[in-house]
Amino acid sequence: MAFSGNFMCTSFKQELLEGAHNFKNSGGDTFKLAMYTNSASFNAATTAYTTSNEVTGTGYSAGGLALTRVDPSTSGSTALTDFADLTFSTATVTARGALIYNTTTGSGSGTTDTVVVLDFGSDKTSTAGDFTIQFPTADASNAIIRIA
Amino acid sequence: MATEMGRRAIALVKLMFKFNVDIPKDPIVNIQTTENRGFTPDEVAERCVEKLISVSDTTHPAIRDQAQAFQKHMEKVVAFYMREAIRSDRTTVYNALKDAGHPKLAELIRRL
Repeated sequence: MAFSGNFMCTSFKQELLEGAHNFKNSGGDTFKLAMYTNSASFNAATTAYTTSNEVTGTGYSAGGLALTRVDPSTSGSTALTDFADLTFSTATVTARGALIYNTTTGSGSGTTDTVVVLDFGSDKTSTAGDFTIQFPTADASNAIIRIA
Repeated sequence: MATEMGRRAIALVKLMFKFNVDIPKDPIVNIQTTENRGFTPDEVAERCVEKLISVSDTTHPAIRDQAQAFQKHMEKVVAFYMREAIRSDRTTVYNALKDAGHPKLAELIRRL
């Protein structure tokens, strides 16, 4: 069991068509990022956040941190959205990847619907320091979530 | 004949409404970590400018060089104001600690 690349979750695609996710900066849903060890095994079929194989350590709490949404926009014929970089401060953790999930899908509360599986490529470690996830440039070719 | 035309029409409709929301399998997020310290203003400024200004590899070389030079200049400007913000915040923390009856701790913060 291990991370095997990035995946846009299939359930998320369905939920998009059902109008269940709102990425607007103001009034949008609450998306969180949780980090995992390489014992986790996620793919496009992953549907929900889990505590199994979630990282533990100083400066990290189960469930991860909430992301700051960036208003969806368009570039040419592509629609895209982005998140602000996320930092776990004064953290001592080792993570291989992450899940982004929605905790308020469809205006609900306490939901765990996954959006995307992120593979960091290798184990990343911070020791009594900052652990920052830098999202790609928000353009039509690189944004974290794009509809082309 | 009519059936063939129907099939073509359905195929055209399928093409028209197909959209792609997939992402590359290779890593797309950049992870930055530190050990026994936080990020320096220069490190954060570099990240900030990457977010503000992106230059495509396929841009005309003359424009690309100019844009990259502008990026480097912006990094210095952003880092300068980050240092200003840090200094100003330390002043706030210093006064908060002093007012709370911790003058020695306040002085340690001021000297950082």
